[in-house]
Amino acid sequence: MTTVSHASRASRALRLAFHGGGLSYRALFNWTTPPMFIGTLLVGPLFQIFFFVHVGRSLHVADDRFYLLGNAVLATSMPCVYGAIMAVANERRFGTLGAVLLSPRSRGLIWGGRVLPYAVNGLAVMTFMMLVGALVLGLTLPPSTLLGLAQVFVVAAMSCALFGLALGALAVRIRDVYVISNAAFTLLILFSGANLPPESMPGWMNAIGSFLPLHHAIEALRALFAGASFGEVWSALVLEVAVALGYAALAYGLLRFFEWRSRANAALDVM
Amino acid sequence: MALPTRRDVHRFWRLMAVGVRTHVLYLSRSGLELVMAVFAPIVFATLAVYLFRAGDQPDRLLQAAVGAGLMGVWSAVLFGGGGAIQEQRWMGTLETLVAAPTRLSLVLLPITFATAVVGMYSLIATVAWGVVLFGIPLTPASPLLFVPAMLVCVVALGMMGLLMAATFVLLRNANSLANGLEYPVWMFSGVLVSTATLPEWTRPITWALPTSWAARAVQAATGGGEVVWPSAVALGLGLAYVALALVALVWVERRARGTGTLALT
Repeated sequence: MTTVSHASRASRALRLAFHGGGLSYRALFNWTTPPMFIGTLLVGPLFQIFFFVHVGRSLHVADDRFYLLGNAVLATSMPCVYGAIMAVANERRFGTLGAVLLSPRSRGLIWGGRVLPYAVNGLAVMTFMMLVGALVLGLTLPPSTLLGLAQVFVVAAMSCALFGLALGALAVRIRDVYVISNAAFTLLILFSGANLPPESMPGWMNAIGSFLPLHHAIEALRALFAGASFGEVWSALVLEVAVALGYAALAYGLLRFFEWRSRANAALDVM
Repeated sequence: MALPTRRDVHRFWRLMAVGVRTHVLYLSRSGLELVMAVFAPIVFATLAVYLFRAGDQPDRLLQAAVGAGLMGVWSAVLFGGGGAIQEQRWMGTLETLVAAPTRLSLVLLPITFATAVVGMYSLIATVAWGVVLFGIPLTPASPLLFVPAMLVCVVALGMMGLLMAATFVLLRNANSLANGLEYPVWMFSGVLVSTATLPEWTRPITWALPTSWAARAVQAATGGGEVVWPSAVALGLGLAYVALALVALVWVERRARGTGTLALT
């Protein structure tokens, strides 16, 4: 009998997470065709920025930069929330969920790996929004902010994708999970703080927002552009990381629980 | 071409009544549609109320609630009109509808009107939400014209939806177009805030959209201003969109039949 070395195990785990995640993205994400990708992930969120900039200008609530920073980060919710939900829901829809759950491999690696391509996608969308939005609105991106910007984007994308996975876990049991994804996506517009200055948000809204993804990331990004130190920026980012870890744990727990319940009730492929 | 007889006119209205009723009931049973029609506009109404308060315009909160409702009406028509065709395609009934002796345009019109009617849930929900939760006084400037202006809005948007439905029959990726059209129309129509701060070159876009005029009429009935003239323009533009849709549908149907792409998803 041969023993599998630690290096080989690590390599297999990485292959499962990255290669498996990539394959799942290509197979299950409905918006990879150029028209869908451009229309849904780029044009829609870009006009969301312009719409809120227009509202901000008309009502004199906040300046263009406020809305650009908030909505550029918020744009990641489109690929990350919907994508991570599709990563689970479409397995069920295409009748392949049973085959996936027959696998003896680690659920953490299988589902965790699926989140990665959506986080990368979210990162690309945020970068596009920031560059094009700044260009159209005539705003500058100081070079000193770029490193911090990249850090905020990475944390925001991961946090949002893990939030999406936690919602996606519900797809193992619930038929029309897109009702939940639409509701969650809309709630992020309100509670993330992307469109309301903190001083105009009531306490309850701030409190709910602090448990949702992107709230602290947007706060960190605004602090960065306001000239705050990396220490201040990172204190907000640490909170975002904590939110992300919370959703990772919730997603894992829900996926394991619903897998167990579906096996027990023989309801895995019931549509 | 022969003029329509009284029997034809009767059949048209019967088809409209049965079609609108069927599709309103069908759409009202979809959780997704209800989230789109009620939940999302309520969230936007909450955001709009806080934005108007932050902008030191607390006297215009009813307009904020109505504006959020109008945003919901447009979303319902946009996704409902386009989605209805896509859904017929997915269910395999689009070919049957196209092959039916009744004209395709007459089959589609009740669907797009039904989406606008479902969109009215948004307007009712956001106004009720504003009144109940935020204590906004329901005192429209023109109480007698408020409901007619809303009905004109439904009819105008329903007619606009027919043109979108016609386009969506042809496009396989119609959803991508719909996803990209929600915010631009909200912005260029001035549903929530005036278009005065938009650049000058956007004016023709604003004028060409029935949503702009319908929103202007409803907002005028709410906050004061001319209601009848914008309503008339909204209806006129709606009729122009229907004319365009009829031409487009004949072409689209012929092309889809010729290339055999009608049922492709």
